[in-house]
Amino acid sequence: MKKIEKVLSMLIIVAFVLAACSTPTPEKIVERVVEEKTKVVKETQIVEVPGKAIEPTIVRLSGWASSPSETALLESLLYKFSVENPNILVKYEPITGDYKQVLLTSIVSATEPDIYYVDIFWWLELATNDVLFPLDDLMASTGTKHDEFIPSLIEAFTYDGKTYGIAKDFNTLGMFYNKDLFDKASLEYPTDDWTWDDLKAAAATLTNTSDANKPVYGFCTPPDPGRFPAFVFQNGGMVMTEDYSDTTLDSEAAVGAAEFYTSFRAEGSGVLPSDLGEGWQGTLFGKEQCAMVYEGGWLIPYLREQFPGTQYGVVMPPAGPAGEGNLIFTVAWGISANTKNAEAAWKVVNFLTNEASQRTVLESGFALPTRKSLQNSDYLTNNPNSAAIFNGSFNGAKPFFWGAVGSDVNDQMGKALERVFKEKQAVADAMKQAAEAIRKAMQ
Amino acid sequence: MSIILNRKKISEAVTGYLFISPWLIIFTIFSVVSLVYAFYLSFTSYNLLKPPQLWGLEGYQRVFDDDLFLVKALPNTFKYVIIVVPIQTLLSLILAFAMDQKLRLQRFFRTLFYLPSVTSSVVISLIFIWIFAPQGIFNQITGLTINWLDNPRTAFYVIMGMNIFTTSGTLMLIFLAGLQDVSTSIYEAAQIDGANPIQTFVYITIPMLRPVIFFVVTVGIIGCFQVFDQIYVMTAGGPLDSTTTVTYLIYKWAFRDTTIKMGQASALAVILTFIILSITLIQRSIIEGSGSSAES
Repeated sequence: MKKIEKVLSMLIIVAFVLAACSTPTPEKIVERVVEEKTKVVKETQIVEVPGKAIEPTIVRLSGWASSPSETALLESLLYKFSVENPNILVKYEPITGDYKQVLLTSIVSATEPDIYYVDIFWWLELATNDVLFPLDDLMASTGTKHDEFIPSLIEAFTYDGKTYGIAKDFNTLGMFYNKDLFDKASLEYPTDDWTWDDLKAAAATLTNTSDANKPVYGFCTPPDPGRFPAFVFQNGGMVMTEDYSDTTLDSEAAVGAAEFYTSFRAEGSGVLPSDLGEGWQGTLFGKEQCAMVYEGGWLIPYLREQFPGTQYGVVMPPAGPAGEGNLIFTVAWGISANTKNAEAAWKVVNFLTNEASQRTVLESGFALPTRKSLQNSDYLTNNPNSAAIFNGSFNGAKPFFWGAVGSDVNDQMGKALERVFKEKQAVADAMKQAAEAIRKAMQ
Repeated sequence: MSIILNRKKISEAVTGYLFISPWLIIFTIFSVVSLVYAFYLSFTSYNLLKPPQLWGLEGYQRVFDDDLFLVKALPNTFKYVIIVVPIQTLLSLILAFAMDQKLRLQRFFRTLFYLPSVTSSVVISLIFIWIFAPQGIFNQITGLTINWLDNPRTAFYVIMGMNIFTTSGTLMLIFLAGLQDVSTSIYEAAQIDGANPIQTFVYITIPMLRPVIFFVVTVGIIGCFQVFDQIYVMTAGGPLDSTTTVTYLIYKWAFRDTTIKMGQASALAVILTFIILSITLIQRSIIEGSGSSAES
């Protein structure tokens, strides 16, 4: 008898241990986009130049590692750099996990890298605390001009007349549409000239909930502060005032945008990812349960990897009553104000953002280049989906940045939409409540 | 003579400290120093990028002006303690009592009940995310269509249930050890007096377990006030702040917000310490007060 018990206990332990080991991560919490590996790249090597005994200048460089293939791409660029500049040794130190927290603590202890990623969402905090190096003089020293880059991307990292970062790549929102679902509903494919009315009508036609196990909705409207502001801009509104000293979420234009945005679900032609048990609308789009979604270029490699059969196209988001509106998501290279080798660090940044490097980045299919000159490149001509997202930056796009209380603004925007969706709060009240909470956070 | 004795004493003390030095050093660096520093930070304004600047009680003032703290985090935390602590204590007591009987497959059940406690809380959180997903096992068995973790009315209860599930095993083990300390002669005497099992449980087992109950409830309350990792993994304080607790709010202010509020977060940490401290003291006086004749 005892033996049986022992065996049973052991079996259960083994079962638990196995269960713990083989835990796959659920989609609910992971929204990371998996990229396809398109290039096999050698690792960065320290190149020894015989006959030269000069100590190389060491420059440390950090960023987050969003995918192995993207890391490999960066390493290959750094390798090229090391061949061209044997006197500068770049040490690549990627940060995994909570990037901003790790970076801030390293800044506190004065051990931060010389060059690091700065996200549009929180870079100003670093600039106003004099942690970032102003780049204008360095740019002038190598003859790099501000107007070689997309204007909105340079403006995005300018504070008090000084440039604090060179955008390494960027994304805007495009409207992804599923061609099969459009064919099934015998609708014409969307174009860049669409308006809100076209979007509304198409969403209603595309919705088909007759199959309870696989309902199809026209449009996805997640309570996401990274999507909704585009509608505010299209309606002639803003999220924050020009100087970020106040929010305008309770303005007529913003409330009108929220009314339009939440009307899809109320009328049955829109859906939240969580309604169908997904964490991200990209998955719903891949599963053909959502005919149209607003997403950035990161959806392209995700679909290629996870849902390779999807027939889709991308156009710019439809214009609202006040015209085009879009969001810019971008990450820049920043140089630490404490660096001892500012010139060497600038050389690295300048190399990584020069036309040749940017072309490599573009052709790898990971991200869009920040140089204007690549707008007419062959790659974009041959890839209209990427081109739609690239061109979004010239059409009413504003940076995804809301000032010093950005995280509160995002929180409140998301919650206001959630209250409308889940607690049936009146739209005007929800936006008012959000605006008041933001104002309180600003004090 | 006395010199020799003294010397012996000193060398004994040195040996003792040497033995505990690894722990002592780590404890000093990571607990004592950081505790004192956090207390200092609670009187400062500190965004990590500029050196901390003293601003007196402003941080505390801001904590008590904060809607998220007053309306969500504080009530949520108390709700959590009030629901979870009694249930987990009662459940583990009953489990321990059952395990103390001569049951068949006793070892098997002990292992079974203890397993959730030795599994990592992140792993259990992930398992519960799947169980309570819209297409998860729970909805499939019950035929419901609730999105448990995305609904402000249900999410917090799922986390509570999960915590009861994971902690009951450990608490059961503590109760079990306490039960085995109760002398069998008392039970035999009760049996001779004609007490039935329920009477024995209520009038003998529970009073004899009073110190163990104090320990379990105290540990339970402290643990519940500090609940964090499950919330971080499962809901990140959402939906609509329905699962934001005091510890999660501390984390949010200290690391999550665009403008870091380290001082304000430290102030809240200090406040939480005092809440836990005072509740433990009150609870001690209640338990010791009612049983002072037996204890002292």
